[in-house]
Amino acid sequence: MVNYSDKIREISKRLLKDCKVDMIIGFRKGSVPMMNEPHFARTAEDVDELVWDSNCGINLANYLTDRKEKIGVAAKGCDSRNIVTHILENKIKREQLTIIGVPCKGMIDKRKIAGLVEGEVLEVTEDEEQINVKSSGGKKSFKKTEVLQENCAVCIHRNPVVYDEMVAEPVPEQTDVDRYEDVRKIEEMDPEQRWAYFDDLFKECIRCYACRNACPLCYCPTCFVDEAKPQWVGKSQDPIDIRTFHFLRAYHCAGRCTDCGACQRACPVGINMRMLTKKLEKDCKDLYNWEAGLTLDSRPPLDFYRPDDPEDFIK
Amino acid sequence: MGVEPGRLQFSWISSAESTKFVDVVTKVTEAVKTLGPNQRFVKKEAKVA
Amino acid sequence: MTDFEPKIVAFLCNWCSYGAADLAGVSRMEYPPNIRVIRIPCTGRMSPKFALGALRQGADGVWVSG
Repeated sequence: MVNYSDKIREISKRLLKDCKVDMIIGFRKGSVPMMNEPHFARTAEDVDELVWDSNCGINLANYLTDRKEKIGVAAKGCDSRNIVTHILENKIKREQLTIIGVPCKGMIDKRKIAGLVEGEVLEVTEDEEQINVKSSGGKKSFKKTEVLQENCAVCIHRNPVVYDEMVAEPVPEQTDVDRYEDVRKIEEMDPEQRWAYFDDLFKECIRCYACRNACPLCYCPTCFVDEAKPQWVGKSQDPIDIRTFHFLRAYHCAGRCTDCGACQRACPVGINMRMLTKKLEKDCKDLYNWEAGLTLDSRPPLDFYRPDDPEDFIK
Repeated sequence: MGVEPGRLQFSWISSAESTKFVDVVTKVTEAVKTLGPNQRFVKKEAKVA
Repeated sequence: MTDFEPKIVAFLCNWCSYGAADLAGVSRMEYPPNIRVIRIPCTGRMSPKFALGALRQGADGVWVSG
């Protein structure tokens, strides 16, 4: 993953020079460590700012919605799946895109690292398997596999599913991970325990909607939380309002979510709202054998009727 | 999320099946009755001083 | 608990269950008075928002019928 930056710059320069694209969407270094920010490169000078490391957790498909220009976009496994979903939902045309595929070994969890070191994190560098952190309390090194984002640790689609160029050979996919251990734990709870579990999960929520804004699926012109007539959900921090918001947002993502982790990453108070989207992801897998964004050739289960769709819940 | 499964029911009744309608209404009512009053997801009215 | 009478919001499809309810009515059939019927043009009009909205406003149960 270390030499990806050069390769991405090289491809980007070529694409811009040949007028294949009007701009490249990638990442550049953020102003604080471990916070790379999206970068829209239109000139060769812009391209020099492009980087790729283990802090590119933001989902770039989010910036493609309803774009008119020709775009080159750097896409790791989950971004590419969200791009597929975008194409299926007519939010962008395949012809507009030049997808620069980036095989991904996971992004690192900035919160986890901040919690493991003393003092403020000043600098984070990495080599192939190692993350080196310099903080105001000293220096520490971690194995990358130990500080991955939760969703990356159980990811089984690390390589882009659609791409026009690849920056490197595909990486081996993880096969021995248990994706839904946590979801099963909740499924085993009785209603009482579940209610308590989610009460605890969402108690810190401040309704900032960062999860919604970071999510490439949340592109509705007017979100249901902003509707006033009728008002589906109150705007307060009332626990029921918070629950309604997260519950309905998760449902809007059913059969579309790729578990890219952008929502959790964006949350300023560290809520793992992926517990809801993951449950729906698991249900889609179990009921319809569907995983979002893997192919451009078939419609998602929720907008297509098949006579053998499960209907045991109907009396 | 902790709402009892029986509180939300789905069924499929043709417009000619009035007996099935009566049947299902009775069953749904019974099911919800055994669950007791709903405590979950109810938005408490804001207290106005 | 025996005297608990639940409030159940019933979302009925205009063409199916609403018709069945109508037929039950004209046939003078008797059924529990606990349901509050909301007619929707088709079960496809149903949305999770409706179910949550009903619960939020104090319904004890939600019944969707096509």
